[in-house]
Amino acid sequence: MIKVPQTSNTSYIISQLPTPTAFIDTDYNIVYTSNKWKGIFCLNNENYKSKSLFKVFPHLSPKWKMVLESCFEGNPQPMGIHKANNINKEELWFEWSNVPWYDSDENIIGAIIQLSDITDSINNELELRKKDLQLQQQAEITKIGRWEYDLKDNKLTWCTTTKAIHEVPPHFIPNIENALFYYKEGHSRNAISMALFEAQDNGKAWNNLKLQIITANGNEKWVMASGKPVYNKGELVGLVGTFQDIHDQVEADIKSLDNEKLLRTLIDNLPVNVYIKDTESRKILVNKAECEFLGVDNPEDILGKSDFELYPEESAIKSREEDLRVMSTLKPIIGKETNKIKLDGKETSFLSSKIPLLNNKGIAYGLVGISLDISKLKEKESELRNIINIASIQNKKLLNFAHIVSHNLRSHSANFSMLLNFLESENDEEEKVRIIGMLSEASNNLLDTLDNLNDVISINTHTNIEKQKINLYDKVINVNQNLISYLINNKATIKNNIPSNFNVKAVPGYLDSILTNFITNSVRYRDLNRTPVITLSAYKKNNYSILTISDNGLGIDLKKHGKKLFGMYKTFHDHKDAKGIGLYITKNQIDAMNGKVEVTSEVGKGTEFKIFFNEKD
Amino acid sequence: MKKISDITIIDDDAITVFGLRKLISCTVDCDSIISYGNGLLAYDGIKKKLKQKERIPQIIFLDINMPIMDGWEFLEAFIKLPISDKIRINIVTSSIDPFDKQQWEFYKNKSHHLITFNLKPIDRNKIEEITKIL
Repeated sequence: MIKVPQTSNTSYIISQLPTPTAFIDTDYNIVYTSNKWKGIFCLNNENYKSKSLFKVFPHLSPKWKMVLESCFEGNPQPMGIHKANNINKEELWFEWSNVPWYDSDENIIGAIIQLSDITDSINNELELRKKDLQLQQQAEITKIGRWEYDLKDNKLTWCTTTKAIHEVPPHFIPNIENALFYYKEGHSRNAISMALFEAQDNGKAWNNLKLQIITANGNEKWVMASGKPVYNKGELVGLVGTFQDIHDQVEADIKSLDNEKLLRTLIDNLPVNVYIKDTESRKILVNKAECEFLGVDNPEDILGKSDFELYPEESAIKSREEDLRVMSTLKPIIGKETNKIKLDGKETSFLSSKIPLLNNKGIAYGLVGISLDISKLKEKESELRNIINIASIQNKKLLNFAHIVSHNLRSHSANFSMLLNFLESENDEEEKVRIIGMLSEASNNLLDTLDNLNDVISINTHTNIEKQKINLYDKVINVNQNLISYLINNKATIKNNIPSNFNVKAVPGYLDSILTNFITNSVRYRDLNRTPVITLSAYKKNNYSILTISDNGLGIDLKKHGKKLFGMYKTFHDHKDAKGIGLYITKNQIDAMNGKVEVTSEVGKGTEFKIFFNEKD
Repeated sequence: MKKISDITIIDDDAITVFGLRKLISCTVDCDSIISYGNGLLAYDGIKKKLKQKERIPQIIFLDINMPIMDGWEFLEAFIKLPISDKIRINIVTSSIDPFDKQQWEFYKNKSHHLITFNLKPIDRNKIEEITKIL
């Protein structure tokens, strides 16, 4: 039999219960509810009575039914926490308590359900758990761990990340002593000890100390440690802080620093000029060699400057054009021979390369220039070429001379042998005398030839004869006096227009011979229709003192004879005194003094010789 | 031995001229021997003979190194003269300069005249050999 509870004023009392409470009968129908319950679950104060509990909570878990069932049997069980929607469809968390409902005869007639709203605390807890999770994730991602030190209990707490960084097991219990011990001996341990001391004694926080630890596994690691003291009512109660694994960054930093240093050392000590320019051709990196070349001690003096500030405009324009071409075509210039003229006018030869620097989109953001100073090399090269030239000229001269010697000696010896042959077979005494006369003539000719050859050889073998400073004006007067009778006999006039203080560097004997030769040549090849006039003048040009000797003589057809003018035994005039040796010797003497000779002439007008005396060497 | 009308010697060395004359007159049957002291004199002389329709030499002894106009310059000018006969030109020199040999090859191929190259000294046998004409 089902016992129907007494209602009447009981329901009034129940309605005033301070917590949401419902009384249900053993058929799960709601019998009484407190106003609090109604306020949560009853729309418009509708009468709740006799309504099935399952209608009110359609999503009631099967567990609840079981719990209520055991209640009906006198075994109340905790229900735990469940959520339910209120009349406003809000989700609320409740702690459900179920107890058996006894009537006055101690019979179970139903169950009393009492709720306590724990939505706030559930939300708080969820929020807290979320925060915790976030913190943990953050710690895992950033490798930033936390620690706390409780001064009162002398208790140090490490979070899992901090433990992971120390490579200790999760159950490890740290304390201040062993925590300090993990710091590497020396700077790191000293620094953290100092920081702890300062925090406890002076209340100072420490931020981002970059220190090294040695982990439980013996690995060396870079960490970033921060911490600060915590006060409660003005009293120091502990310390909190963070602990970050920055090993990879520091290692990377150190490595890139090392790489940079290596690169810098390499660039600076390369025996070539290295620079990097931006798109505006401003230098943004220069090495030591480039600084030295541009004559500055500090790279800062060049950085940011363009070629227009470092070189004369003309070469700066050229260089800028080159830069633009390299950066727009992206084609490097490799090993191009260039001449750079600095602002002070000094010229340097370079083997230079310009290579475009590309960003990740393949667009040039500048260029790297590498220049090798080859001035010395070029100098050596031209020196060498000079030597080869001289050698080849000398060689030609020698060969030519050898042919001349051979020719002359052979022609004389041929004459001797021919004449001796005649003499042998000649019976006519008169003819014999004639042949002997010719033999002595041939002998004289041979002696003359040998004398001439000797002269030439002595000039060419005494190339180191000391040159002296000689007053040319005085020298001309001197030669003039020596030739005075010859000049008077031929009615020749010498005009000495050389400045009286004009000096040349020459070998005195050669200068004598040169002047004598040119003057007598001019007289010898005079035009018989004119009084011979020989004019001498002099001036300086570049490294030369130039003496001009001009006459109003016969002149020479240079087109025909120019090449042979200074050859041996070449004569161009039908003249009894012409031997063809004078100009050859003169030329040799001028050559021996590193000078040169030029000639201009017009047949019937006269000839002008220019003799260049080298003042340098 | 074929009789030769005229022989010309062009050489600036009096001794050589004397020797050649002597050798030629001993070995060759020849009407006249003329000598010139350099190329220009010889050229002018031969040109004058051509103009006046006189006999020109059948054989020329030519030196190379001479003043005013040397042997090569003479040859250059001579081969341009309107001479249809084949003249024998004997170069006589003491030069061993390869340049002179090259010049000889050059003129030898350039001209219809017979040009020979002879190194001094010249003896009787040589003279006999180089005075033969066809």
